[in-house]
Amino acid sequence: MTKDFNRRDFFRLGAVGAAALAIGKGFESKTLAGTVDFVKGGKDFSPKTGKEREMIASACWSCVTRDSMVGYVEDGRLVKLEGQPNSIRGRGKICSKGAAGINQLYDPDRILYPMKRVGKRGEGKWKRISWDDALTDLSGRLKKLRDDGHPEKFMFHYGRMKGSSSKIVKSVFLANYGTKTIGNHTSICEGAKWTAQELTWGKHYDNWDFDNTKYVLNFGSNCLEAHTNSIPAMQRLSSAIVDRKVKLVTFDVRISNTAAKSTEWVPIKPGTDNAVVLAMCNVVVEAGLYDKDFFKYLKITKNIDASFDEKISTLKEHLAQYTPAWAEKISGVPAAKIKTIALEFAKAKPACLISYRGAVAHEYGAETERSVQMLAAITGNIDNPGGRCLAVGPKWKYPKGPKNKPKAKALKVAHGFKGEIAYPSHGANHQVLKVIKDGKAGRPEIYMWYCYTPVYANGECQENIDILKDESLIPFSVCVNAYYDESAALADLILPNPSYLEWWDWEDMVSPDQIAEFYIRQPFVKPLGESRDFKDVVCELGERMGFPLGFSSAEEFVKLSCEKTPGVKEAGGFEYMKKHGVWHDSKAKPRFYSYKKAVKDGDLKKDGVILDESIGTYWNWHKSKAKTEAEAMEKGYTKTKNAYKGYVALKIGDEVFKGFKPDKLNKSGFFEIYSDLLELKGLSPLPRFYPNKEHENLKPNELILTTYKVAVHIHSRSTNCKWLTEIYHDNPAQINSATAAQLGIKTGDKIKVKSSIGEIITKANVTEGVVTGAIAISHHLGHWEYGRYASGKKAPLAGDNDPDLKLKTWDTYGVHPNWIIPNKPDPISGQQAWMDTVVSVTKA
Amino acid sequence: MNLMEKTIDKIDAEQRSVIYGLLSEVYMNEVSRDLLEQIKASGLLEIISESGSKELNLHFQGDINELTEELACEYSRLFIGPGKHISPHESVHHQLDGGDWGKLWGESTVAVQNFIKSTGMTYLDDFKGIPDHISVEFEFMKQLTLQEEEARKTQETEKINYYLSIEKRFLIEHIGCWVPGFCKKIIESSELLFYRDLALLTKSFIEFELKAITNE
Repeated sequence: MTKDFNRRDFFRLGAVGAAALAIGKGFESKTLAGTVDFVKGGKDFSPKTGKEREMIASACWSCVTRDSMVGYVEDGRLVKLEGQPNSIRGRGKICSKGAAGINQLYDPDRILYPMKRVGKRGEGKWKRISWDDALTDLSGRLKKLRDDGHPEKFMFHYGRMKGSSSKIVKSVFLANYGTKTIGNHTSICEGAKWTAQELTWGKHYDNWDFDNTKYVLNFGSNCLEAHTNSIPAMQRLSSAIVDRKVKLVTFDVRISNTAAKSTEWVPIKPGTDNAVVLAMCNVVVEAGLYDKDFFKYLKITKNIDASFDEKISTLKEHLAQYTPAWAEKISGVPAAKIKTIALEFAKAKPACLISYRGAVAHEYGAETERSVQMLAAITGNIDNPGGRCLAVGPKWKYPKGPKNKPKAKALKVAHGFKGEIAYPSHGANHQVLKVIKDGKAGRPEIYMWYCYTPVYANGECQENIDILKDESLIPFSVCVNAYYDESAALADLILPNPSYLEWWDWEDMVSPDQIAEFYIRQPFVKPLGESRDFKDVVCELGERMGFPLGFSSAEEFVKLSCEKTPGVKEAGGFEYMKKHGVWHDSKAKPRFYSYKKAVKDGDLKKDGVILDESIGTYWNWHKSKAKTEAEAMEKGYTKTKNAYKGYVALKIGDEVFKGFKPDKLNKSGFFEIYSDLLELKGLSPLPRFYPNKEHENLKPNELILTTYKVAVHIHSRSTNCKWLTEIYHDNPAQINSATAAQLGIKTGDKIKVKSSIGEIITKANVTEGVVTGAIAISHHLGHWEYGRYASGKKAPLAGDNDPDLKLKTWDTYGVHPNWIIPNKPDPISGQQAWMDTVVSVTKA
Repeated sequence: MNLMEKTIDKIDAEQRSVIYGLLSEVYMNEVSRDLLEQIKASGLLEIISESGSKELNLHFQGDINELTEELACEYSRLFIGPGKHISPHESVHHQLDGGDWGKLWGESTVAVQNFIKSTGMTYLDDFKGIPDHISVEFEFMKQLTLQEEEARKTQETEKINYYLSIEKRFLIEHIGCWVPGFCKKIIESSELLFYRDLALLTKSFIEFELKAITNE
């Protein structure tokens, strides 16, 4: 007979099994039968019915990262968004802003119908009109300008327009209409960084290879909260720090969450990163820790035939003035600390040097980025595994539209005032309204903006409002938006765009692991109300004005692109992408050292290819603005307009390489530390330090205003998201305790922050988390429109169909710092100098 | 403290997950030589033979290759056929809501599949069996109890309660409805002590689980 097993037996059984597992003996097969496991995403079920929800693969659009994602639809309603598990970029993850995208779709304050102003501009009186009426009016005005020979008087200004949206609207519609009066928003973001990269290695975007690095040195990037490739980059940086114990050193004026999670936060005075970077370069060359092999590709002297010794001695001589002791006086960072970190960085091979707005959103921010590039280059941490790499993204093929495009014209309003900025290669768009007011470069008759808020996103809010309101300066204005924001309130016509969860796109953001990934965005639901994807609208506008674009919708454009693009096409084209959302070549290898690649002999012998011996650059003059070969030869590559478009190869001695291919500027094929282009503009060809005159001799109550982003908000487009604003809806100004003590200010005190152009009243938050002499106020908040969650104010024609409106717990909406920040450009790049404003701070 | 000396009020989620994992594996396929060696080395036989048959230990003293072969034949005879066998699938044994039963891919197969998927789990691509195989149900319980254990470590009460509620439902709605009866059939039909004692152990364990979880 047997007795029944009892609790004691099961306890022993479990314990034996667990002990055996723990010591690695016994049930080594982990007692897994291999039948079921938790899914890693891509499936979801209704908690009410248990039924599987419909999964749709798409892409985020909250920030420029544009993560691949999947969403679940139940009974026709989008209920959940999460990361795309099959994406090599996002690896199944999205951030809080991505998940809260649902709030963008079902925002009760959304604009769902075309609206026409009926009162005075900005008065808030609107009439709902039909799409037919809206487009009849708009196309009539546009056609007249075009027929009169002045298509350039139609200005199109966008905030976010990437991937297929950019191609459909800019490359096809606007190009066929004939206007190049186009603005973007890069100068209020990271324009200085991009221009500096174009001046040094050609392309404007760098990827940071955290997976292979041994050391990360960070100047002013808050990449664990708000990077331009955030989710892909931050999870890799986190893995490097946590799993591989990689050291991360962050220089920042504020203890951002990135600084807090770093091995070391080094506080630094605002706008002085360049001094520290230059001093680090000095330490590296004096210690002989440079990468001799890479110097071959570096242009350090005017003479490209300079030997290694000549290059090093030139650098040493130039950098001799920038000692750590000198940098300490400027930056407040101890000289010994600068030296230690410089040596650690140079010895840790490979090491990754990263930088962002904290370092570059200043006057001469582009020069800081040039110095950063120099430090990475002399230590050999360029385009190498574990270093700072040239970005790799997918190259889509797409329909180009009608063949015979008109010769487009432009008003020169998007690049700042004439002669003020050396190379505004990404515009000086925060100055557009000022330049329009000035009038010397002409004025657009129709100003249309898309996913952009000129009033709120730029500095000097009051001036922006005054100019946009003035019908003598801007006769007709059109806002394309899903939300009634501060700029929409000043438009003459509002075209209701859907949220990004209701439209088609193909996307092309770069990959953190140097392998291109193709992905698409597709709608989860049909556009709500009468909202219409602007890409579909431009197809109709083209038809109405007599130049059909060759496709009738964004969906058709995406479909045709999928059928044209090698790789995607063979994988199954549009149907494959609709089902899976992402595709990459599983055999592709990460791309590094692309500049070392050989160039085919045939490419150098093509018609029009000539060699500019002074800079070792082969280029095809046919692709430039030169009219003859003789003109091209005489002017040379650097001085011929658009010569960079014909770039072919770099010649070093008897060898020919692919080199560092330029984009937007006539940089040679070298990695240029010595810039002929800057020299032409009377600026220092080698990176130097430009002191900010306004920061010298500050009065006792004067501080430097710095701004920042938090993890749960997009710059200016997310406070309508209730899940996000519930978390973050107030932004008291951060002041260091020593500074606050001098000013007699305590946490919670009302304070007045005054600059040369205005003042704001806010609250103080006294903290050790910001350096002395600075005051930090985040972006995102202080809206006075944008609906009830963002500002407490209901939008015109808004609904009440969100039960959460009754559950809203907050009635503070924060204070916007941009009212008091002047729209000032960096003289090299046009970058808005966000972090330089001198303010006086007193108790209010 | 020696693990064995700990006061035994209740077995914890980690131990339950080990037992479910073990049961899942031994019912999945013929017992491999490796697994047999692991079973021998682990002290498991002692536990079984104290309550089950004393002879089991003796049986395991023989040649390991022969024993593997013998057990494989018994596994086939009991669970696969040819001829009369005891199918290890719920739908053969469990009449769900007065619906059909006694066949493969029945109503309860679909119910089990939906139940498992509704918790965010999925069938692995490599698994080519039928969704309500006894090993699947045990492995599902293993995963749930593992998650419960993780939640206990981080003291997430809401999660602990969530996993407990799923475990309870699955035990009551599925495993408890057919596994004890299935084990009884094996106990009656087995010709080798191993499978008879395994069935005894399984039956007692599930009955113990049902009692414990309904008293929570």
